[in-house]
Amino acid sequence: MRSRILTLILATGIALASLALLPRAAEMRGPGNNQGYEPVQPVAYSHRLHAGELQIDCQYCHSGAQRSRYAGIPSADVCMNCHRFIKAPRSQVRAEELAAEAQGRDPEKVVSPELAKLYQALALDESLLPVAGGEPQPIQWERIHQLPDFVYFDHRPHLAADVRCQKCHGPIETMERVRQMESLSMGWCIDCHRDPFGKGKNAATPVASTDCVSCHY
Amino acid sequence: MSIKAKRQERSPAEGMTDSLRQEKARRGAEQLQGFPRRDFLKASGFLVAGAAVGCSRGPAPEAIPLLEGSPEMVPGQSNWYASTCGACSAACGAVVRSRDGRPLKLEGNSLHALSRGGLCAVGQASLLELYDSQRLPQPLWKGEATALRDIDPRIEGALNSGAGRAIRLLTETIHSPSELAAITRFGERFEDFRHVVYDPLSCSAILDAHAETHGSRVLPHYRFEAAEVVVSFDADFLATWISPVEFTAGYSAARDLSGDPPRMSYHLQFESRVSLTGSNADQRVTVHPAEQTTWMSHLAAELAHRSSEAIEPPFAVAGPVPPPVAAAAERLWQARGHALVVCGSQDLEAQILCNLLNHLLDGYGRCLDLEHPSQQKQGSDKALAELRQELAEGQVEALLIRGVNPVYDLPGGEEWAELIARVPLSVSFSQSLDETASVAGAVCPEPHFLADWRDAEPVLGMFSLTQPLVRHLGQARGFASSLLAWSGDPHSELEWLQETWKRQVWGSEGSGEEAEAEVPGSPDSDSSDSGFRAFWDRALHDGFTRVERAALTPGSFDPAVLTALNEDGAGHSSGDSSGDSLSLLLYPKAGMLDGRHAHNGWLQELPDPVSKVSWDNYACLSPAAASRLGIEEGDLVRISGSDGDQDLVLPTFLQPGQHDAVVAVAVGYGRAGTDRFADVGPVWVEGQPTVEEGGTVGVRAAGWLNRRGGELETVVHGVKVELAGGHQQLAKSQVYNDLEVPEKLRAADGHPRPIVQQASLAAYRADRTAGTPHGHFPEANLWPDFAAGKHHWGMAIDLTACTGCSACVIACQVENNIPVVGRDEVRRRRDLYWMRIDRYYSQDGDDLQVSHQPMLCHHCDNAPCESVCPVLATVHSEEGLNQQVYNRCVGTRYCANNCPLKVRRFNWFEYSREDATANLVLNPDVTVRSRGVMEKCSFCVQRIQEAKISAGSRGEELAAGAVETACQQSCPAGAIVFGDLANPDSEIVKSVADPRHYRLFEELNIQPSVGYQRLIRNQPSHDQPSHDQPSHDRQEEEEGHVDSHA
Repeated sequence: MRSRILTLILATGIALASLALLPRAAEMRGPGNNQGYEPVQPVAYSHRLHAGELQIDCQYCHSGAQRSRYAGIPSADVCMNCHRFIKAPRSQVRAEELAAEAQGRDPEKVVSPELAKLYQALALDESLLPVAGGEPQPIQWERIHQLPDFVYFDHRPHLAADVRCQKCHGPIETMERVRQMESLSMGWCIDCHRDPFGKGKNAATPVASTDCVSCHY
Repeated sequence: MSIKAKRQERSPAEGMTDSLRQEKARRGAEQLQGFPRRDFLKASGFLVAGAAVGCSRGPAPEAIPLLEGSPEMVPGQSNWYASTCGACSAACGAVVRSRDGRPLKLEGNSLHALSRGGLCAVGQASLLELYDSQRLPQPLWKGEATALRDIDPRIEGALNSGAGRAIRLLTETIHSPSELAAITRFGERFEDFRHVVYDPLSCSAILDAHAETHGSRVLPHYRFEAAEVVVSFDADFLATWISPVEFTAGYSAARDLSGDPPRMSYHLQFESRVSLTGSNADQRVTVHPAEQTTWMSHLAAELAHRSSEAIEPPFAVAGPVPPPVAAAAERLWQARGHALVVCGSQDLEAQILCNLLNHLLDGYGRCLDLEHPSQQKQGSDKALAELRQELAEGQVEALLIRGVNPVYDLPGGEEWAELIARVPLSVSFSQSLDETASVAGAVCPEPHFLADWRDAEPVLGMFSLTQPLVRHLGQARGFASSLLAWSGDPHSELEWLQETWKRQVWGSEGSGEEAEAEVPGSPDSDSSDSGFRAFWDRALHDGFTRVERAALTPGSFDPAVLTALNEDGAGHSSGDSSGDSLSLLLYPKAGMLDGRHAHNGWLQELPDPVSKVSWDNYACLSPAAASRLGIEEGDLVRISGSDGDQDLVLPTFLQPGQHDAVVAVAVGYGRAGTDRFADVGPVWVEGQPTVEEGGTVGVRAAGWLNRRGGELETVVHGVKVELAGGHQQLAKSQVYNDLEVPEKLRAADGHPRPIVQQASLAAYRADRTAGTPHGHFPEANLWPDFAAGKHHWGMAIDLTACTGCSACVIACQVENNIPVVGRDEVRRRRDLYWMRIDRYYSQDGDDLQVSHQPMLCHHCDNAPCESVCPVLATVHSEEGLNQQVYNRCVGTRYCANNCPLKVRRFNWFEYSREDATANLVLNPDVTVRSRGVMEKCSFCVQRIQEAKISAGSRGEELAAGAVETACQQSCPAGAIVFGDLANPDSEIVKSVADPRHYRLFEELNIQPSVGYQRLIRNQPSHDQPSHDQPSHDRQEEEEGHVDSHA
């Protein structure tokens, strides 16, 4: 008898909890699905600015995509190719120049607080000289797109087949902070592999195998 | 902490379910007391269901890019670097795969002139030792951990504390120019310095014999590719003798059936046990070790008769010539100039006779190169005896020991331990705390060869480089650097190496091809520097360079030696092969060698190529001898000798084909510290440990090496073998992997289709399809025929070339993350090899014939496994691969039961371990399988994918031969061909078209993608078992004929 009551209580509890969650049902996801994951990054890097406004090619930074399985996150020296010279937004630099001119003094160095983190990682001071006794520390980015361990995804064939980055990563050039747009589930992969680019769209239809061993080995 | 912080980033819904779950779990625990079991289970069922709904994968770990990128190091991309294998003194060429900053696989260097692309099991398995978490992390001084900067002044001080002190360096063979130069630099500072060399697997007698007969103490460079007839007396040259990979490559080059006319050398093996080499011989003759010298004398006498030279063979032996010797003499004489006799004995007389035989056969210059001799074994057992004498007399002030383990691998080990402990300064360079290092006063560990700059000169003029692929793990320092640091001349490994090469390899003779344009002798000038740079870069890229060094000019054969031999040969040993006493033969086992790799689980579990026993050494007895002594397989026996050596107690193994008066025991077992394998394999109720705590794997037999006539001999006559009481089941894999053709599948003539199809060379020359069994089978098929897509992967294995060396087994293990399961699991038929080598015996008269057959998933197009899987976990791919999908597999094991080839392996347990260092060896491109799933050969699909993707991203079609499986790459004999059956240019299409090609179980119409090339033995046709023999191939006149030069 007691057990039946207990069962009832537990079942009711689950039912109530489900009811409470019902309005958010649309947000419910299967295990392992991180769709919508949008963590705060250690450096507030903006894809909207770099990829959108400045139109830097994706592979300028993510150059691994054409050589390796992983597109990779650029090493700090890639950032420094530009940020050796650009240390703050142009508007801020300009404002300081104007202010200095108005006050009749030399303009001060303007360093954006986000870029200061980059220089700190490389143990450089604001004049980009090595900090005495400084220890370079790589930036620990939060990883967003993560596939399960038992799938072997490779960027290269997708690049070779001219799949645009946005197809899987969403409108990255509009994102201030990167968010996982797609579910990255197997069903989502297979949908595209069954029908790459739709039928007859491309003269040379890319080979998108649906063999298990294309991804699982 | 960081996890918590990240959790807060998740959506509120997830956070709620998380806390709900925790709360529920807490309450559940509180209510546990006085809670009925059924209710508890019910409640926990709900909890699990709730948790499953709410659970979501934790946030990914951080992505940490490099601070400074390198164009060479792209995360996820593998690079291959040429290097030199350092697992034994053969120094084969290797290429090492490095990904994300760590070496992951060793393979053979196909450019290398000696090893020609193969790499043996030991070489490939040596990778595991790099990630050994039990390596010494820092130097030891009197057993206390210390730092290099603290130990250096102490050692230097002790070395320089007085003039005229005797300093001794005891090493294995060193043929590295830079290390030899460092030894010279180190030694010249002391008045009394000597470098003593010995090899645990000694070839000292060969060197001493050449000193007597040719006037210089060298080891000839054997060239099996030039030999049309090979006669071997107990030399296991395909498995353990001097340089097995190179010899296998040469041997199989001389047995190339693809030519027209086919070329096949004739190999005759005289031996007392069944070695891997003997198992491949065209004819194997069992001889007692004590009779070998007599037989060699007979052979010499036979050849001397035929020769015009007036040479009186030694030991004018009475009695009739044994018939095999007479036949051998005839074959050898026919092939003189292209005949090679090798002898693995440590008996000086036998080796002198061997030199005489090769001299009579005109082999020097062609099959044995003395002008560019091998430097792979230089040990001198006589010098070792002198050192031991000095130590016993207490004359040695400092003893440095490198690469050898005298306390373990020499007889009288305990005495060595005492002697070493008595030396005021003893330094070991061992990477682990082995038997010798633990009695030495100081230990300065040297790095693993994959983490060190080294070089080697295995054969005169053939220089190889080893480059580091990872930083030293722990505080290690190269041997040469240590010596230089103590000479007050510190150099980094690389500086010293380049300096030595500049001096010795490059400029000195002006002979390197790049060096020709340069002016040697002006090493300071810029042009010379850039010349060296180019030379160095090239050598580093290729891993080796060949320099025309001034050849040695050894004397020619000196017949006077024979007269001397005749005089002292009166008391020539003639072992008593009758009665109860047996002869003990100590031999190195393929994979285990002298025991230096005994801490390597891969090698411990590798089955012996002939006995198929793993994890132990054992006393091999012939079945006849065992039944005479009343011994059965597995019985523990006691081997005792007359001269008071410690008795050996070992399980028995019955070896057909072995001499009845011989008991053979492998050395290399019983290493201290092998109790580390106590917990290898799964832990479960009925599990038995592989080794007891404090015990060892196998029994040390090196104590039985004995000294007769200056050399350390491997044969002990007059031992007694008796039952010791007790039984130990050996871990044998062959018993359960045997393939048999069931009764109902026999052909019309009543004979089953043989699993290993074979034919004699004579029959093959008459008919290329010789050996094809009779009978046709209906090709009924329940399913529609398989139509391959763009590619159709297939493999062909040449059974004539395959020697059974097992390099492929280890290659597969390394590539595919195959775990070590432990002795008990092997006994329970649960080993996990995807690639195994089946060994079959067939009796041919008195001779034992052995066949080796590599066995792996055949990727059948009508795969029996696929049709029985209830969850579609094993299905066929468009490219003809039999796919195994671990995520779908629920472990019914129907597929394994329905596989006629017994190649499917089930994960009965979770084998992966949490060992952060050891797990670095795992191949990140292959899933680590978990418990409860089936697995099997995937045709290295990760390599197929990689090749397809990299060709595709270059916009190219996949070239023929672009995919090499791990087993194929490693094969020293080149026996495995893999490729695309749909590509007419590929090698595999040619192999399938070969008339020797056959497939297994054709009667089942399984349509395998793996086939075999028939085993051809260089024999007259009547030797064949009748059912293998087509009716029209009796050509006995072929006997004695030597197939020569294509």
